[in-house]
Amino acid sequence: MPVYERGYTHWEPSGRRANPAWFVIARRGVIEPLRRRWLFLLVVMSWIPAIVKGGFIYAKLKAGNILDLMGGGWTSIEPEGFLKFMEGQRFFVFVMLAITGAGLIAADRRENGLSLYFSRPLGLLDYIGGKVLTIVTFYSLVTLLPVVALCVFSYLIAPEATGANLLLLTPLRCLVYCLLSGTSIGLVLLAFSSMGTRSIFVMVWWTVLVSGTETIGAIAKGLGQDTLQAVNFLGQYHNAGTLLFGAPARLAISPWASLAIVIGWTALALWVLRKRIRPVEVVS
Amino acid sequence: MEESAIKVNRSRDGRQHGIEVSGLTFAYLTDPVLKDVSFTLEKGAIGLLGPNGSGKTTLLRCLLGQVPLSRGHVKVLGWDMASQARAARAGLGWMPERGGVIPGMSGVALVAYMGELSGLPSRDAMQRAHEVLHYVGLADERYRACQDYSQGMKQRLKLAQALVHDPDWLFLDEPTSGLDPRGRVSILELIRDLAWNKDLGVILSTHLLADVEAVCHEILVLRSGELLARQTVDTHTKQAKQVFEVEGFGNEEAFIADLRELGAQFEPDGRLLLVTLDLSRIPEACRPEGYDPTAGVNAILKVAKAREYALRRLRRRPVSLAEEFYRMVEA
Repeated sequence: MPVYERGYTHWEPSGRRANPAWFVIARRGVIEPLRRRWLFLLVVMSWIPAIVKGGFIYAKLKAGNILDLMGGGWTSIEPEGFLKFMEGQRFFVFVMLAITGAGLIAADRRENGLSLYFSRPLGLLDYIGGKVLTIVTFYSLVTLLPVVALCVFSYLIAPEATGANLLLLTPLRCLVYCLLSGTSIGLVLLAFSSMGTRSIFVMVWWTVLVSGTETIGAIAKGLGQDTLQAVNFLGQYHNAGTLLFGAPARLAISPWASLAIVIGWTALALWVLRKRIRPVEVVS
Repeated sequence: MEESAIKVNRSRDGRQHGIEVSGLTFAYLTDPVLKDVSFTLEKGAIGLLGPNGSGKTTLLRCLLGQVPLSRGHVKVLGWDMASQARAARAGLGWMPERGGVIPGMSGVALVAYMGELSGLPSRDAMQRAHEVLHYVGLADERYRACQDYSQGMKQRLKLAQALVHDPDWLFLDEPTSGLDPRGRVSILELIRDLAWNKDLGVILSTHLLADVEAVCHEILVLRSGELLARQTVDTHTKQAKQVFEVEGFGNEEAFIADLRELGAQFEPDGRLLLVTLDLSRIPEACRPEGYDPTAGVNAILKVAKAREYALRRLRRRPVSLAEEFYRMVEA
């Protein structure tokens, strides 16, 4: 019978498996923005540094170490070089997460979407988990994926020079780093998003947090105020990441201190999310 | 009808399908919004009436388990909403009054998304989304971005997302809010069809009495967080004392005297004479389902004929739900 003649019918389970709620939320959070062409273009642009680095690695492995004279670790195939590469991707991290993450909860709050979500059989963990996974996916698109591709590329062009370390251990380090830092950054961004109903304000706060603190850190470094570098938001992740990659510290403070700071504001973000995400708005 | 049209709801099993609320007291901050509310509902069309701020939406949120329940017990479909709200919500549909339309998605994508979040497999959710959008009359608009929908279409879309997972109960918060008369009638028809023909329990929260009269068979009246009354919509037909408007000329004294013997009471109202008859004293009026008001009319006609009192007007004065509601709320 055609659907338009059927009226309302009760649903009969088909026996197929349902996806968990967090996965459904994350999938929608990733697919919807990627339908915008300019965002897709931004992802492609974020891969340009990886292509450039790939070219340098190719030249080094094939033409000798003359290119090592270049600074910035562009030809390095050591773990530290890949951490530096991810550090260099911070502009794309900043822009990509501002675009895709700012409205994730703010839009739901503005449209009373939380009430819809929490009328379904899902809990706070599913909701936050789905949203964080969305951010981690975009974060990985501009950091983890190019790095893994570079590792595989380097191994393929000169397996004897790079060894299994580049094929297995470095990508594994990058994976762990991206998952942990992406989750923490995602939670902080979501906490900002949960505090407003307008994406634009969340973007402003995100800009202050990333660019503002980096600028303050750079000025403090110039003035010789090393401890003030601790305010650099993304810098803390890179500094703490040196523990995983066995690299020298990026900031004047200990990587362990950076790790403690990161854990601290991640816990704060979780507390804010716990307080702010409710199906009912209570106005005192 | 083809076989495919006969489907079986997953929740039509041995579970309880009712709602039990006992001693529910709830406060967002300090002042209680609900005060010691208790009732039991079986599936049907229930109207939740009350003035603005009486606690209707809060009561629905308690039934959905969206707010922490500190005092009292709420059981929906046999699930305790204090601890098992997630499981219960698989069988509940919610149509909020405000918002509820996630921008950036087409109508069909939104409904399918909500279906998946309710536990439907991806393909089933998409299939159901098409079905319910056809049902609510949005078939031609389903691929449009939902933020571009008119108010009436948004209300239908919200109804569709509440229906997509085939719930046992639908909680509708002011579903006709902001609709023109035509849109209002059509959405009420849909709700009535769901409640009366499709075996869905419906709780319709509104302050529009006409909406309740059009859809519901029973009402709960809230005032300042207290459950003021619970009654069927056709209560007035079950009342023994009914008022008739009479206007005529002739031997009025004799006419009144004879009616007085039937236990009638009289009250002048301009040119009219209001006759209150106790139908329980008229054997022909007593029926198992209530009182037959035509028996009261016939009794008056009989007396008028016997006393040669010429009637120009005779009709039962309708007792509207609105009168009942205002009488209760203002009491």
